[in-house]
Amino acid sequence: MDLEPTCLALLALRLQPSGSAVVLLDAQRPDGSWGSFANDNEASGVTGLAFLTLNTLGTFPDAASRAADWLLDASGRQSSWIWKWKFRTTDTRVRFDPEKFGWPWEPGTCSWVVPTAFALLALKQSFPCCRTGRVAYRVERGVEMLLDRACPNGGWNAGNGVVYGALMAAHIDATAIALLALRSEPGHELAERGLAWLEHQSSSCSAPWSLAWSILALDAYDMFVAPLQQRLATITGPDEIDDTATLAAAALALDCTASGNPFKVIA
Amino acid sequence: MTRRTVLGGSLAIAAGAATSLPFLVPRYDQDRRPGRSRVAIVPVGEYSEKLSELLREGLKLFRLQVARKSILLKPNLVDYIPGAEINTHPLLVTAAVECFRRLGAKRVTVAEGPGHRRDTQLVLRSTGLEQLLRDQQIPFVDLNRDEVIKRPLRADYSGLRHLWLPRTVLEADFIVSIPKVKTHHWSGVTLSMKNMFGAVPGVKYGWPKNLLHWRGIQQSIVDLVATLPIHFVIADAIVCMEGNGPLAGTARRLDRIILSDDPVGADATCTRLMGLVPERVPHIAETAKFLGNMAFDRIDQVAAPVAYPPTPFQTVQDFEHLRAKAVPSRAPLR
Repeated sequence: MDLEPTCLALLALRLQPSGSAVVLLDAQRPDGSWGSFANDNEASGVTGLAFLTLNTLGTFPDAASRAADWLLDASGRQSSWIWKWKFRTTDTRVRFDPEKFGWPWEPGTCSWVVPTAFALLALKQSFPCCRTGRVAYRVERGVEMLLDRACPNGGWNAGNGVVYGALMAAHIDATAIALLALRSEPGHELAERGLAWLEHQSSSCSAPWSLAWSILALDAYDMFVAPLQQRLATITGPDEIDDTATLAAAALALDCTASGNPFKVIA
Repeated sequence: MTRRTVLGGSLAIAAGAATSLPFLVPRYDQDRRPGRSRVAIVPVGEYSEKLSELLREGLKLFRLQVARKSILLKPNLVDYIPGAEINTHPLLVTAAVECFRRLGAKRVTVAEGPGHRRDTQLVLRSTGLEQLLRDQQIPFVDLNRDEVIKRPLRADYSGLRHLWLPRTVLEADFIVSIPKVKTHHWSGVTLSMKNMFGAVPGVKYGWPKNLLHWRGIQQSIVDLVATLPIHFVIADAIVCMEGNGPLAGTARRLDRIILSDDPVGADATCTRLMGLVPERVPHIAETAKFLGNMAFDRIDQVAAPVAYPPTPFQTVQDFEHLRAKAVPSRAPLR
């Protein structure tokens, strides 16, 4: 079992009898996180997506409580004071503010856009209002981190907007996932610019994974996605998609206007 | 500030210092250097259908025993930015497939796991490689999402001790690294050995594979190539990249492909062709102690000689010391 395709497949099948949370509950580690695959003995940056999936499939208080505790404790390595100092003084080649941190892909590494966005979605879904204490603190820092890592020309990539003075290009899928996490934030110029960038890029995107995430994000912002869904349904034959994650993301995107968008977190 | 924070900070400093120290102590299991290595520099004017023929002629300079073997071709597909010379050219990849098929390979697979892009298909599609692979019925594996197996590392410079690696790579009989010759803002150069970062799966290590950076890029390269054997190198040095590589540099022509049965010899030669000094690139210098040959007197240079460029490749400031100040204009051809 690989975690990300499993989560996306469960979300796509959430209205079917086979959309059961058992596989996720069984795979959760004692500390509340999930590994990247069945025999992975470390926490994964996709834990936020697993938590969001679990919440979408039903109510599981114990598992949800442990997942929330893990997310609130986990952070990118630059959140410690020594690394903040290093990134402020001697290691300044990548432009970012180490005070603004989120979640890493792997324990002991930096915060990156996609795991931070997944974690924010899960926390916002779990704590839809009146956030206080650690929850409020981590959500605020995570949102700040996403805004700090935006690419200067709009959108997001893995998390490096400027390297050695060069402006790096955004990626469609990372931009879409970041925008989903920022949807409930008050209109911010960077989010607006990212949305405009995504709308423009998705109009010519021909890769199913990126196009699917575009549709999910644009739909969450109440934009008209029917033409994009039509294109997604025709650009790639089912036999040309050989990974479950892409197939499930495409299914979610094609169905989001009819059956609801699980990434449209109310907060 | 608590005692725990101070202790954590001290450990972080110690860990950082340990990984950034140069390679003072050998940390490999055994000396596996071949007695001699062979490197061929093949002049190539342009990316065209003729690449297949040129590559086939070049491969004749080596006695490759690949009949009935499964071959894994690992190109360098990082990202797609229109007009930027980032990736191994698709025509070189398909030329390599054709050559290994003609040599009697049981199966030839192209595989890659981009470091920043999660949408591998978008890179394949945008570069035109996806259509070429489909037309020629060449299988492709996304190494970021392949099944993974835990493997102990055969060197211990990074302190990682083990890595989860893709089954497709581990089960291949013969691995061919097909890098794009570029300067790199974190590792100085990115050639056949750095190219193997693409075999480290994103499904476990994320996008980017940040753990390798924290453990030291140079150290991680050494540990990785000590563990995953590169059996042959076909380096795309027709149009290269200098400056702020691997993504934001500028194109620079060398009009060559470099072939070798030794990744260390290949990378040392590519570095010289870039006007840089391989002895100053830590991962090349260290692997030359136990994996392959860097010295001229242990390399059989064939086809064309090493010709240093009048102006070395530009690098970012941190790697300006790699640029050769005074080098011979030509090295001997054997």
